[in-house]
Amino acid sequence: MSAYLISIITEGAIFGIMALGLNVIWGWSGDFDLAYYSYVAVGAYMTLVLTIGPATAPAQYILGLQLPYPLAVFIAVITSMAVALVIGSIALRHLRGIYFSIVTLGAVYVVYVLAGQYVPLFDGYNGLSGLFDPMGDWFGLDYLSYQYFLMGLSLAMFALVFLLMWRISGSRFGMALRTLREDERAAAAFGRDIYRLKLKGYVLGAALAGFAGALFAAYLSAFNPSAWSPVGEVIALYAAVLVGGRGNIWGVVVGVLVMGVGVQESTRWLPHVPGLGELDNVNPQILLSMRGLIVGLVLVLFLRFRPQGLLPERRYVDSQPAALIVQTPA
Amino acid sequence: MSETEPNLALEVRGLTKLFGGVRAVDDCTFVVQSGQVTGLIGPNGAGKSTAIDLISGFKLPDSGTVIFKGGPIDGLPPHRISRMGLIRTFQSPREWPGLSVLENVIMARWDSGRETFRRGVWGLARSQRATSAGELARAREILTEFGLFPLRNERAGNLSGGQKRLVEFARIRMAEPQLVILDEPMGGVNPVLGERMAVAIEGFIAAGTTVIVVEHNLPFVERVTDHVVVMAQGTVIAAGSFHSLRSNQLVIDAYLGEMVPQ
Repeated sequence: MSAYLISIITEGAIFGIMALGLNVIWGWSGDFDLAYYSYVAVGAYMTLVLTIGPATAPAQYILGLQLPYPLAVFIAVITSMAVALVIGSIALRHLRGIYFSIVTLGAVYVVYVLAGQYVPLFDGYNGLSGLFDPMGDWFGLDYLSYQYFLMGLSLAMFALVFLLMWRISGSRFGMALRTLREDERAAAAFGRDIYRLKLKGYVLGAALAGFAGALFAAYLSAFNPSAWSPVGEVIALYAAVLVGGRGNIWGVVVGVLVMGVGVQESTRWLPHVPGLGELDNVNPQILLSMRGLIVGLVLVLFLRFRPQGLLPERRYVDSQPAALIVQTPA
Repeated sequence: MSETEPNLALEVRGLTKLFGGVRAVDDCTFVVQSGQVTGLIGPNGAGKSTAIDLISGFKLPDSGTVIFKGGPIDGLPPHRISRMGLIRTFQSPREWPGLSVLENVIMARWDSGRETFRRGVWGLARSQRATSAGELARAREILTEFGLFPLRNERAGNLSGGQKRLVEFARIRMAEPQLVILDEPMGGVNPVLGERMAVAIEGFIAAGTTVIVVEHNLPFVERVTDHVVVMAQGTVIAAGSFHSLRSNQLVIDAYLGEMVPQ
């Protein structure tokens, strides 16, 4: 297996966990959250400051512990959930639709600027680095076998998260979240505490984001402001969920395969198209921008022709024939 | 005075709500007898819808009290009032459009124990899923009763206006509240369906649910109600049986007017 394939699969699994978390917030609860990637970032940053040890001058950052990786991941997830609880409890109180999105857009910029400019927190623009092969020496892995290990770990964690979401999807809890998306006044009229329920969904989604961020930190060994942007990454996640099928966890997987892996990777042949190769020599950024063009085009086509996605959300289908129903006297 | 009679399902005392300088509901006082259908009528702008919002917790009153189940419920959030057994509908049908008709009915019953995240993950038995056998059976029964069984797997948003009204009635049946407030159930409904709704309201009473119905369709009000409360300009101007109100000059002036020729 080539190193390239290993990296795609690892990235795809991590991206899949992110998309499943976004599906809770947008697919089920129905909130277009733009702060979502800040929970990924918090997860990644926290994992690093908890594992890479004390800062050496001129670098500076908080904590600087050397905890075992799994414990660091756990704390990072809790931190992401805490940040989401703060942002969510403000944004979800009264705001819906575009107003909610604007507030969460503000929130992600606050997180981005704090992480990138406030040096004592995560060393500002330099960011954090030095998380090499976490858990690797526990099993005595060399460089190459560690790549396989991390790929397997990411896939296993993705499978675990998928199983969890599969359980939630068919549960009363999952259905209650959907009633909020469909009509929250009716949900309140039938006993649902809208604010609490929405906040629960929001924090659950953020937990998955933080978890994916913690895995991402191990994959990248580092994290800094040039590794993410406030809006770019989250739009790619929305594209994956939309194309796959909002609200359908199988659809989310398909969306990640199509958008995250398919479209992104298939555009690697662009430099080989006659005429385009020279363009790449002139300015390597051009073909990268064309990739964005293709992603955008796919998104527009889906919004116009198949807004429900490749695998639309499934409703429970009752196949019992009418004749079998025993009438009880009123 | 503060003692509630045991046969009262709801008591509204001095309810007042101001929007800026407008007194939308102004010292509104009435009672609802258990096991009866009470009509709430009045001209547009009389404050009926605001009164319902105040009773069901969707708006907060500026003053006044609502007594339900022997205690005040004013100031409680809508979900708490709903959980106590007072459920309301809205002027326009509020189905969950993306869910199926069957899911709409099943989710009308709020279930404290099973709706948590933890149960969602660890509740391994079929009875813990969204569609447990008992609920499915009950929902099928109700859907058959309302003639919606063939549409049970349909997306609720695809139904006609009248069918959506029936889905709302089916949801009330599933939720089995002590008191239901129906906000203009006849809005946009044809006479045949209207008769079906009148029968459904009788069904609610038979099942132990007291009914308040806000309605402009007076023949329907005459057909279904035991008692009528008339509101005008935010306050109650008369109450009694529909027939006794026909001859009430205040009611005729405010609302009935030429609709009831002598």
